[in-house]
Amino acid sequence: MSETLRDIEKLADASYEFGFSTDLDTDVAPPGLTEDTVRLIAAKKDEPDWLLEWRLKAFAAWQQMEEPDWAKLQIAPIDYQSISYWAAPKKKPVLDSLDEVDPEIREMFDKLGIPLHEQKMLSNVAVDAIVDSVSVTTTFKETLAEAGVIFCSFSEAVRDHPDLVREHLGSVVPVRDNFFAALNSAVFSDGSFCYIPKGVRCPMELSTYFRINSMNTGQFERTLIVAEDDSHVSYLEGCTAPQRDENQLHAAVVELVAKDRAEIKYSTVQNWYPGDENGVGGIYNFVTKRGRAHTDAKISWTQVETGSAITWKYPSVILQGDRSVGEFYSVALSSKRQQADTGTKMVHIGADTTSSIISKGISAGNGQNTYRGLVKMMRSAENARNYTQCDSLLLGKRCGAHTVPYIEVKNPSAQVEHEASTSTVGEDQLYYCRQRGMSEEDAMAMIVNGFCREVFDELPMEFAVEAQRLLSASLEGSVG
Amino acid sequence: MTVAAPTWQADALEQLASLALPTKRDEAWRYSPHAKLSQLTFGPAAALDEVPSDVEAQIPVLDGPRLVLVNGVVDPGRTNLGALADGVVFCALSEAPPPAAARLQQTHESPDDAFSVINRAYGTEGALVQVSGQVDVLLHIVDVSVPGATHNASASRVVIDLAEGASATVVETRIGSGTGFGGSNVRTEITLGAEATLEHIILQDLPASQLHIGRVDVDQAASSTLRARLFNLGADYGRVAYHVHLVGEGARAELSGLYFGFGDQTLDQQITVVHEAKDCTSRQSYRGVLDDSSTGIWNGCVDVRPGADGTDSEQSNDNLLLSKTAEVNTMPRLEILADEVSCQHGATVGQLDDTALYYLRSRGIRKDEASRLLINGFADQVMDDLEHHGVRGWVTARLGHGHE
Amino acid sequence: MLHVDDLTVSIGGTPILKGLDLEVGPGEVHAIMGPNGSGKSTFAHALAGREGYDVEGTVTLDGADLLAMEPEDRAAAGVFMGFQYPVEIPGVNNMYFLRTALNSVRRSRGEDEISAREFLKVAQEAMDLVEMKQDFLNRSVNAGFSGGEKKRNEILQMAVMQPKLAVLDETDSGLDIDALRVVASGVNALRGPERSMIVITHYQRLLDYIKPDYVHVLVNGRIVESGDHTLALHLEEKGYADFLGEDAELTGASA
Repeated sequence: MSETLRDIEKLADASYEFGFSTDLDTDVAPPGLTEDTVRLIAAKKDEPDWLLEWRLKAFAAWQQMEEPDWAKLQIAPIDYQSISYWAAPKKKPVLDSLDEVDPEIREMFDKLGIPLHEQKMLSNVAVDAIVDSVSVTTTFKETLAEAGVIFCSFSEAVRDHPDLVREHLGSVVPVRDNFFAALNSAVFSDGSFCYIPKGVRCPMELSTYFRINSMNTGQFERTLIVAEDDSHVSYLEGCTAPQRDENQLHAAVVELVAKDRAEIKYSTVQNWYPGDENGVGGIYNFVTKRGRAHTDAKISWTQVETGSAITWKYPSVILQGDRSVGEFYSVALSSKRQQADTGTKMVHIGADTTSSIISKGISAGNGQNTYRGLVKMMRSAENARNYTQCDSLLLGKRCGAHTVPYIEVKNPSAQVEHEASTSTVGEDQLYYCRQRGMSEEDAMAMIVNGFCREVFDELPMEFAVEAQRLLSASLEGSVG
Repeated sequence: MTVAAPTWQADALEQLASLALPTKRDEAWRYSPHAKLSQLTFGPAAALDEVPSDVEAQIPVLDGPRLVLVNGVVDPGRTNLGALADGVVFCALSEAPPPAAARLQQTHESPDDAFSVINRAYGTEGALVQVSGQVDVLLHIVDVSVPGATHNASASRVVIDLAEGASATVVETRIGSGTGFGGSNVRTEITLGAEATLEHIILQDLPASQLHIGRVDVDQAASSTLRARLFNLGADYGRVAYHVHLVGEGARAELSGLYFGFGDQTLDQQITVVHEAKDCTSRQSYRGVLDDSSTGIWNGCVDVRPGADGTDSEQSNDNLLLSKTAEVNTMPRLEILADEVSCQHGATVGQLDDTALYYLRSRGIRKDEASRLLINGFADQVMDDLEHHGVRGWVTARLGHGHE
Repeated sequence: MLHVDDLTVSIGGTPILKGLDLEVGPGEVHAIMGPNGSGKSTFAHALAGREGYDVEGTVTLDGADLLAMEPEDRAAAGVFMGFQYPVEIPGVNNMYFLRTALNSVRRSRGEDEISAREFLKVAQEAMDLVEMKQDFLNRSVNAGFSGGEKKRNEILQMAVMQPKLAVLDETDSGLDIDALRVVASGVNALRGPERSMIVITHYQRLLDYIKPDYVHVLVNGRIVESGDHTLALHLEEKGYADFLGEDAELTGASA
């Protein structure tokens, strides 16, 4: 056993391949958070008064709120006054075409493998790229516009589609929802906005790529997706950050509105810098993601969480309309000293609503992985159904897996089924694979990927490949 | 025989002054009726002039000696300890023989929630069971709560020690009298020596006007076996929390229970099994049936500590909701800090199976009778391996069915 | 005795049976055969009274309107259905279940409840019939039973209930040859001048053991051919292709 164990630990001890930082000339606000900071952000962005009012309301709420009590997390206190709440590349380009994107930024995204340039583009994916706090480019805008789809940075949306933003901003995640959502509402810098008109099937995958580049900055972006009746959209989100010794804060909010019979599929591959094996550095990833599904609508969250020092996110669905559907597919890996506390909330309000939850947690090294979920069947949720499957895989002796599901049922016709298991990679499984000629590393990667199969199957093709690669890279030392 | 009050008891009395009751922010009390709990008043145990006449009829008739406590004081009229085998101590705490009296100075861990503090402060009397060797009869401890004028709630303490290789069965019946508001707070401390086997059964059936707060702490040495069974049936709020520590290698804990709620009852079970040693086995298997406007709470946790390799654990909680206004909150939790573990857990909530109902009806059984048959079938599975006919008979009679 | 006239059944708006006629006389055994999805099981459940079916037409048993009755009243009227998938009921003792069922039916008919002694005798005979051991009755209803045990339990129940009309839905499915023999001989022993049977099956195999008086071919919700047991042999040889083609033509012509 001991030999295998050492190998596993070696495998888990991966190096972070996106740890470079790019030397961009950046406009950074002085650290600290007061009402003036909020006003400064609004002024920098030339925002309308209603939005400033909304931000100030959120800021006031945030000041009254208590930081969450970290049940399972070991976390150094965050000094909210030492963070800079605004950073933007200085040569903020006014883009007429992609060729005008700052070559340094383009180079950075090239390094990340993010195809900003159209020639290098993966087929049929439109990308909104966000560096630090600001959206630097959105591709394929015209093709999308022909279909009536609006896909742009949040700032542009505020400028060009203020009524749509004003109607839906905060409609799913109210400013007072939680400590980090309130903080985000006060200081969010940019993000993505997406609007799919009635009956439109978005002609391509939409994608946002987040990158934290500057030191000592927090990233507070905001994503709002509105899918009108009978529309359909698939949205991808990717994230990386440079390797730095101090912790950086990422507190995003994502709101999804799926109107009658609309379908939103939201996929995330999160690979923020996780910190080193001693727990130095890494991103604190505190994200609020929630969707509201109206009648016959469907919202599906898929996430592969391999990065961040601390992840604290619960993509959720409010199943408001009758027969609406919510899904959550998650792979969360914690190695080194990573702590992942993630899961979902499915709140069933409408009749005949169904939700399914498939969560795969992998713990390696000194990683701690927690599934925390809530399934709530309100009194009105006639014949609602939930199925939850929650599996943990432990690789090594110093890691931990925690499963904390809450199931609250107030309707007798509702049916809830929760199953969970915890296991380890068996000696016999490894032996069997090796007898068939596989290296131990390959065997391990194969078994772990197999463990995650149900979730990877939910990802769009390009992302599934990326996710498998990431998982292998996070587990393997030299390979990958 | 008097022994100085233990220091932890004095500490607890001191803590009473600044006692903060649990709130919904405390995980273990998240769904509890906090307003009602705050109405309970405790004080030093005091004997009643006269025990109400309806008490005797409520006590299950079991084969063996019994010790009856009323409001935390021994009721000599109803207590019948008879002649006990060698190697068996079964008596009131206040009557403990000298070696045991020193033992009572010790307590299991001292949890700092308010009701545990209250129990340490006022639960001065109770029952002591010490066994070396085998006991074939049931040892029956009856705790009766009769809300009084000075305070409406009582506290008592049960200590059960099984020596190496010993085996025994202890039944704790918790009942009450009257229609006034009040309740009882009972703490049970169990220590099992190596290879000891204890069957421990709680029958909770307080009146609907009262609250019950029970806590059971268990330390298990190597290869010992605990079978703990809970029938949580009575009280307005009936709560029993188990904290089982598997300290020795190869220890085994099987916990099971049934809660069956009617009216506005809230029935709460909090189960924690801590695997601290290698190759231990634990089973948690609980079933709930919730009718009318009742609420079921089940919070079960398997906590596998570092080094507890070879842990084998299973956990299940199945619930039937029979009414539009009933509800259930269930939390099947796992905390795993060791590898080489096998942990399965699951929870279900549903209503009666339509297909099973149709099958029964196609055999000529009326719909209401078919429903009752299915509900009883669901509930009775908790008693599948219960050998004690006296207990089984009491439960089936209490639930209004008896088809054995 | 059983009279089925223009029976139509839809489930969730989808028509399954589209006008089925059938006459079954006392003591007769009718086999209903047909390809998968032709509506065989639906017919059985329509007779037993499963909920969720939209049923029209007429079904009478000795003149009584079956369609107006609840499932338990149909059982009391003498209808017994052998389930293709007998339901597992954990926690409910098989013997208790059987006695409750028998007494329910007897009460409905205004008869006295059966005494424990008499019941044991009836149950013992039934167990001998299906070659089951004593412990069979002490287990939970169908819970953890093998496929063969479940089907034998159905026949045991039938022997105890002594129905007027037995509807056996795919009783042969999932049985090995020994179990099939036991089940079939149990059924044959229960044949009698006052008891009619409808045996639903996909394969001819069962009919080697239970020889039917009549064979009907059910395709796409209708009986498209009736005959004696030689029809079953014909089907065994030729399959359902002829009838499927004919039906396709019929629907084509009517469209």
